[in-house]
Formats: sequence, structure tokens, C-alpha cells
Amino acid sequence: MEYFEPKSIGDALSVLAKHGAEAKVIAGGTDVMVDIKFKEEPSALVNIKKISGLSGISESGGAIRIGALTTIREIETSSLIREKLPVLWEASHQFASLQVRNTATLGGNICRASPSGETLTPLLVLNATAICAFSDGERSEPFSSFFQGPGKSAVGAKGLLKEIEIPIPAAGSKGVYLKHAVRGAMDIAMVGVAVLLAANGSGVQEARIGLGAVAPTPVRAPKTEALLKGKPLTAALLKEAGTLSGSEASPISDQRSSAENRRWIVEALTRRGLAQTWKAATGKEVA
Amino acid sequence: MFVPINTTINGKIYSVSAEAETSLLEFLRDVLELKGTKLCCNTGECGACTVIHNGKPINSCVTMAADANGAQITTVEGLADGDKLHPVQQAFIDTGAVQCGYCTPGFIMSVKALLDRTKKPTAADIEEAVSGNICRCTGYNKIVDAIHLAASKL
Repeated sequence: MEYFEPKSIGDALSVLAKHGAEAKVIAGGTDVMVDIKFKEEPSALVNIKKISGLSGISESGGAIRIGALTTIREIETSSLIREKLPVLWEASHQFASLQVRNTATLGGNICRASPSGETLTPLLVLNATAICAFSDGERSEPFSSFFQGPGKSAVGAKGLLKEIEIPIPAAGSKGVYLKHAVRGAMDIAMVGVAVLLAANGSGVQEARIGLGAVAPTPVRAPKTEALLKGKPLTAALLKEAGTLSGSEASPISDQRSSAENRRWIVEALTRRGLAQTWKAATGKEVA
Repeated sequence: MFVPINTTINGKIYSVSAEAETSLLEFLRDVLELKGTKLCCNTGECGACTVIHNGKPINSCVTMAADANGAQITTVEGLADGDKLHPVQQAFIDTGAVQCGYCTPGFIMSVKALLDRTKKPTAADIEEAVSGNICRCTGYNKIVDAIHLAASKL
């Protein structure tokens, strides 16, 4: 196995251009090291941690930018994230163990493109954009089109994720990330649901719902979002939204759960997430 | 392909080469013969291999040895002062928090890092600090007792 420690994005892209799909990019290593030991050793390993400028959290122009090498623990302990993007904070707080959060990076969680990736549904409902570097220049890819399948994303084999840009949600909008797993944070989510809701005098101004671990990629529930728009959140509407959200998932059966059970959990977590965010946004219980 | 690794472990400087795919755990145990850090799940789930890397507890089994370059690493061998055990080690003995003992070095490193962060850990701090460490003997209550005892002595 060849090993590279590029010092710049340009150097990293040159290595990737030469080795293509045979090369594996490694940052924190919490997933890639396991693959090397138990699955397959790549012919080239590209450690990007020595590239400067890829780590950190900053705010400018109504958006928060997070570098790809920022660790999950740095996100969890950032007062800026806790205040401005609580839905992402919640996901980082429920992310594996402290040991893993200290090394795993946001970029790694995203590029892994696992349908159950903890930060992905929050970033999806936050309308995040991935800024990727390629040998012919930079491209911004919205999260709505970033994921292409399990392990497949717009970064591909020859690109590098630089940073994530997240527009700060309108004041008064409320978010929640709900994870269903048998063994708490350490466990891979059976289902993850992120909800971001803004309300006005006439009801739900906008609801965004992200579903994790129930489709080949993290997905939004657009029909459910459309159903809720402009209406006060009544108990009847909540029930209808849950059922519709479940129908928008396309789960599989595996060792963690049957598809049918996953769909029920999507329904329950959608109802719970909407009720919680509605109460946080309006001060009222669902009636 | 071999990678040169220059690192400080328990205050001692090492300059050794290792295969690029070597994990920090394999580097500690098999290259440097520091066997205190334990190999268990080898996938970052159980915490038996926990070491402190630049002040932070990490799973050495899923960390590249190459990432030890330029870093300060503390393993369980680095805690005692001669024959005098570190207060965290002594607390585990005094409360009977050691059963089969295999998870103990990992727990002790997580607790050392916790007490480096805060002198008065809350129940939530303790849960967060050791929820990535699994004790297969399930002796968690005594481990929590040991953490409280160690905190009171530090």
C-alpha cells in the first residue's frame, strides 16, 4: 500500500487524479481503519489531515461554515453551533462515543454517505451546501443532490470535500433530531428523523423533514412538508403527517430492524418531532 | 510502505518506522511492546484501547499510527509515579472496580481524561466520559464509585 500525506488541496487532488478509485482518502479514520482491517486494503491511502485550512467553524453573511476536518466533538462543544444550529448540535451529541467524536470528522461522516450517518439528516433539513474541490475547480453541491447512494456522493473518487456551508435558519424556527437505536448513541440508528419547523399566525410556515436510515440515501419527505404548509398543527393533521412521512420512506429489512418496523418508527418520530418543534415555535401543544 | 513516526509517549520520545496501515494500537503493542493498552473489538466500539492523544481520549485501534507524529500520547503505563499508582488507578482498586480487568486500562484512561477536563464531574459528565467503554463483567456501579473516589482525591 502506498501512503500519501499531501500538504495542500492541490497535492491531494493530484494524488487522487493519478490513483482514482484505487485510492482511499482518510481523515479521522474511525470508518476507514475498520475497512482496512476487515474489508479491503486500498492500494493507496491519502491522509488529508496535514492540509491546513480545512478545519474550523465560522460565521459570515448569514451562514455558518464548517471545515471538512472539523471533528464531531468540536461541533458538539461549539457555542455557535449550539445557539444557531441546535439540530446539528443534537446529532453531534448523539454521535457514537466521546473517543470517536474526538477523532471522527464532519467531512468523513458526509463522504461516507451512509444512509444512517448521524449528521446527514440535520444538514439536509438545514439546506446545507457541500463545497468540493476538483482538479478543474471548485463546485458547490446542495445536499438535496449530494448523495447518490450508499457510499456514493458528488465528491466521487477524484474530488475532495472542503467545507459545508449552512444558512442560519430564520429566527424563531425550531429544530430537533430524533434517533431511534437500541443501544443509545453508540449504536447505528435504526431510524433518524430531523425536523425543522417555522410557524406564523396561521400555522406551519415551513416544515422540513429529513429521514435517515430508511432509503439508499438520507432523504427529505416533500409530500409531508407540502401537506403541513400553511396549516395549524392539529392532532388530526399530525397523525396524517406521520402516516404520509412513513409512506415517503423506502426502508429495507436488516439485522437492526424489519422494513415494516422502520416505517412505523418513521411515523412515530415524525409525529414526535413535529409536536416538539411546534410547541417550541408557538408555545402551544398540538390540539 | 513504511512511514517514519516521531512521537512522545508517556514523556519519552520515540522515532520508529511502521507500515502505513498500522493502527496506533498495533504500534503501541507490537512495535513498542507497550502491552498495557488492550486490543478487544478492534473497530472503535468498546474502548479497551483508549489512550490520551494531545489531551483527548481516543480509540487507538481506529487511529493511524502516522497520526501519532508530533503528538503527545499517554497510555496506562504513563500514569504511575514509580511505585505509587495514579489516584485513578488506586481508586479502581479501592472500590473493587476491577473484575476480569481487561477493560480497566481503557476505563482508566477515559477517567483520567475526564478528571483532567473537570475536577468535579457531574453524573452526566461521568456517563459521557465512559459510555464509550464497555465492561463485559458489567461492573459499572463500582466503576462509577471509583470515579467519584478518584475525583475526591484529586
